[in-house]
Parts: sequence; structure tokens; C-alpha cells
Amino acid sequence: MSLTVLRLIMRRVIVALPILAIVSALLFCVLRVLPVDPAAMSLPPTATLAEIDAKRREMGLDRPLAAQYAIWVKDVAAGDFGTSIHFRRAVAGLIAETLPATIELALLAMIVAAALGLAGGLYLFHVRGTWREPAADLGSIVLLSIPEFLWGLFFILLFGVAVPLLPFTGRLSAGFQRPMHTGFLLLDTLIAGRFDMFRDALAHMALPALALGLAFSPAIMRVLRSSLIDVYHDEYIAQARLRGLSERRILLRHALKNAILPTLSLMGVQFGFLFGGTLLVEVIYSYPGLGNLMVDAVRNADLPIIQAVGLTYCILVLAINTMVDALYLVLDPRLR
Amino acid sequence: MFSLPHWLRSPRVVAGLLIVGLIAAAALLAPVIAPNDPQEQHLVSTLLPPAWSPGGDAAFPLGTDSLGRCVLSRLIHGARVALTVAIFASLGAMLLGAVLAHLAGYAGGAVDWTVGRAVDVWMSFPPVILSLILMVGLGVGLRNVILAIVLVDWTRFCRVLRAEVMVTARRDYVAAARLVGFSHWRILTREILPGTLPLIVTLTSLEMGIAVVVEAILSFVGMSVSADQAAWGQMIADARLSIYETPWNLAFPILAIFFAVLGFNLLGDGLRRTLDVRLA
Repeated sequence: MSLTVLRLIMRRVIVALPILAIVSALLFCVLRVLPVDPAAMSLPPTATLAEIDAKRREMGLDRPLAAQYAIWVKDVAAGDFGTSIHFRRAVAGLIAETLPATIELALLAMIVAAALGLAGGLYLFHVRGTWREPAADLGSIVLLSIPEFLWGLFFILLFGVAVPLLPFTGRLSAGFQRPMHTGFLLLDTLIAGRFDMFRDALAHMALPALALGLAFSPAIMRVLRSSLIDVYHDEYIAQARLRGLSERRILLRHALKNAILPTLSLMGVQFGFLFGGTLLVEVIYSYPGLGNLMVDAVRNADLPIIQAVGLTYCILVLAINTMVDALYLVLDPRLR
Repeated sequence: MFSLPHWLRSPRVVAGLLIVGLIAAAALLAPVIAPNDPQEQHLVSTLLPPAWSPGGDAAFPLGTDSLGRCVLSRLIHGARVALTVAIFASLGAMLLGAVLAHLAGYAGGAVDWTVGRAVDVWMSFPPVILSLILMVGLGVGLRNVILAIVLVDWTRFCRVLRAEVMVTARRDYVAAARLVGFSHWRILTREILPGTLPLIVTLTSLEMGIAVVVEAILSFVGMSVSADQAAWGQMIADARLSIYETPWNLAFPILAIFFAVLGFNLLGDGLRRTLDVRLA
């Protein structure tokens, strides 16, 4: 089994490499048509034209586009994403600081989405054919119509302003000095044995994770419901009934096992989208992650950051897809 | 006897059309029904609450923002941006995605492979990130927002439609049409397209809701229409800065976006059921 999984991962990595090459080239081209001059931007406003020209040569901006791209790829392969024009720091460092925060948030949100999606899907399936079905169905459409940033703003109004229950800015309350081990705050506080700080960090993540989770759960609910309906047409369900198993046992022990598979592959796609969703939720909650870094960079036309963060998102999505496919292979013996 | 087309008898379709129609009417009649100029700043009366609460001013039914601009007028004018983007972006994405999907699904072979790889490349990006990067390259403005959404979301159509085209192309009546010697163009437009049209209509309606959200996201971060045009996302960004003084200002554009998306989703879901389209 592990060999099949390994082979799949290898194959996916081989497919991912040309995709990454194309994406990075596209990114490079899109951002080069910008009417901004990175050389002029990285010098003080008092710089003379000759100084700007020298800087352009130093940055390689006087070379043809293909040559510039080649330089960039060579540097990236060596782990050098260039220097931020605005922050005047290595981009790789900025990403290393913000990426763990975004991954933590996305994972927590995915757990929320999966739990809500599972519960909601089972409920939607349970009420099929009853008088509650139209209402439950309508409810799922209403949920589907609320994107994550609207949930985020709504929760700020509700739990931040009207009934102040939870914090809604940053990652930690003032006065806490975060321990540094892995870069993942929740993990680091646990390693340091600071459970008070762990609780505080979790409280700061509660609203953004809930907002993201709620926005991504209705799609999971609806797919689970329809794949449960599909599975119930199979003979083995009728057979389980003949054996006198309780409906509850049939649903949870027999049907769910098969119905969860299409749901899982949807969750893989959703997880990729969810990383996109973190962007705005991070901005709304002033959460210091990749999304906030990206929006700052966009506002400052900070090309090295935009390029690197864009590429990072792309790698994240490809990695998630590969992991979901591998998980699929592990869970569904029929595919091996 | 006059009878309604069957899709108009679905309560979801009717409810969706009503909501969308209401917003469209507000957008079309914006200069007539908006009580104030959406850009005019009344700097003596900034952050007014809605007219019905203490301290409100009847001249500004839903209050004013941080620059003293009328919230209701901005909301109504914002509907213009939202709907323009929703309609043109979803039609554009539909055209691009549907044409490529039909070519790929019908021709197969190298065309199919190329389109499939292009979709793979596009899908390796979260849509929001890709549209933001495109806006950086294109620059702000209504036309560029539409273009960015088209260039990002055509894959939503292409992926789903390609499979549908392949199923339809294998039907017996398509094989029969080929045997009769109809041209490829005629087969695609007269035999296959009628089969895939219900799915196209449903997807387009759902895409309009997505486009509203994407426009709001882009204008929230200041990368959508220019600042002299009122947009719902801009209103949210502005209201977020004075959230304790005027929580209402945040609530109104949130509700506007919610109802617009709900309208398009109800319409799409109703059409999906009545036109009997299976969506994964």
C-alpha cells in the first residue's frame, strides 16, 4: 500500500513541476507589465536618474524579460525570493514568518468546516422526504450565499461589538511574549507549556476559523447528502436491512464509509479555495498571515512579495491536492 | 390557454428573480431614487446614524459614512457596479469556458489535452489570489474587474461542461447526425448545445453570485473600481474603521451583498432543479 501511495506522490510531483514553471512564468509576465519601476521604488526619492539607472542594471532590469525570469528562477531555486521593496527585508523571511499562521488558521477552519459539513449533511439526509426537508434545503442555500468575509464581519459586529465575547484583532493579547520553536503559535505555546497563552491564541483564532468554516461547510453538506442518497441505492444497504441492522447502524457504520469518499475529494478542492478565503479573513481580523502580507504587498506594488506569495499559494494548493489523492488511495482499497 | 414555462413555476426561481429584479431596478433607477449624490461629502454631518434612531437626519435615511456621504445613495449606486460586474463577468466567463469546453469535449485528442492542462494550471491557484494578482497587472477600473473575473472563473464552466459535452457527444443521435454528414459546426450548435444548455444557464446564474462576492472582495482591498465610484466592498472597508460609532454602516452593505448572492443562488438552484441538471 505504501508503495502505491509513494508512486502516486512521485507522479504528482512530476506533474506539478511543469505547472509550477508555467504559473511562475505567468506571474512574472503579468507583474512585469505594471507601470511601476522597482528600481526607482527601492531608492530614496532624492536619487538621481544616474543612480536609478545603476540600480536598474544592478537588479538586472535592463536585460530581456526571459533573462530576468531566468535570474529569478535561479534565485528562487536557491531559496532567495529577493528583497521586499517596501519592508526592505528578505521576502523568504517574511513568508517563513507568515505562512505558519495561515496554515494554522486554514487547518482549524477545515476542521470546523468538516465537522459542520458532516453534521449538516447527515441532518439533510435524515430529514429527506419529511416536512422539514424544504426548510432544511432552503437553509443550506442561505448558508451557501454567505461568503467567509461576510461571516467574519458579522461575527465582529456580534461577538466583538454587540456582545464582546471574543477578541477580533491579532493573534495574542497584549502582554504575552510568544515562544518561538516551530513558528506555529498553537504548537509553540504547548511546547512551552503555556496553556494560558494557548487558550488566548485559540480565542483569537476562534472567530476567523468559525467564519471560514461556516462558509465552506454548506458545499460539504450538500455533497454528503447527495452521495448518501446514491449509496442507499446500492444492494448492500438493502442487505444490511435484511440482516436486521438498525437504521442508525446502517447509516453510520455502512453507508457513511462509502459516501464519505466523494465528500473527501470535494473537501480537497475546498481546502484549496479555503486558502484563498483566508486572505480576506486575515485582513478583517488583522491576523498576521500570508493574506495580510499579500494585501499589503498589493497596496504597495511590492512585486517581489506578490510573486513569492503567489507561488507559495500555488505550491500549497498542489501539495493539498496530492495529499488528498494519497488519502483517497489509503481509504479506498478499490483504487489500489 | 396561456401557461407559464415550467421553470417559472418553481418558487425558488420566482423568489430569485424577485430579489435580483429588485436590485436591478434599484441599479437602473439609481439617479432617480437615490436621495443624495453618492459622492457628495457633507463634512458637518459625518457618521450619522439611520434616520429612525436618535440623532438621525431624515435627509440621510440610512445615515452617513466617515466622509458624510449618504449611505443609502451609495448602497443604491453600488448595486450598479455589483450588477454590471455580475452580468458581464459571468457572461464572459461562460462564453470563454463554454467554447473551450465544447471544443475540448467534442474534438478530444490534442485540443482536449491542451485545454485540460490549462485548467490544471488555473486550478492550482485559489481564485481570489489569482484575481488579485491580475488586478495588480491590469490596474483598477470596472472593465478590468470584469476582465479579471472572466480570466479567473472560465475554468468553473470549462471543467464541468467538458464532461457534459463528452457524455452528450456519445449519444446515438449525435452519431446519427455525423452519419448523415452534418458539419462539425452544425453538430456542435444544433445537436450538442441544446443538451448542455441547461447546465450552462444554471452555472451562469451561480457565477453571477460568485462575481458579486469577488467584486466586493476586490473593492474591499481597494483593487476594484476607482474610488470615485461607490461599491459595496469599499463601503465595508470604510465602515470597518468606525465600527464602534456606526455598526449600522457595516451591516447595510453586508446585507446588500448577502441578498444579491442569495437571489442568484436561489435562481441557480431553482433552475438546476427544474431543468434537471446534475451538479457535483
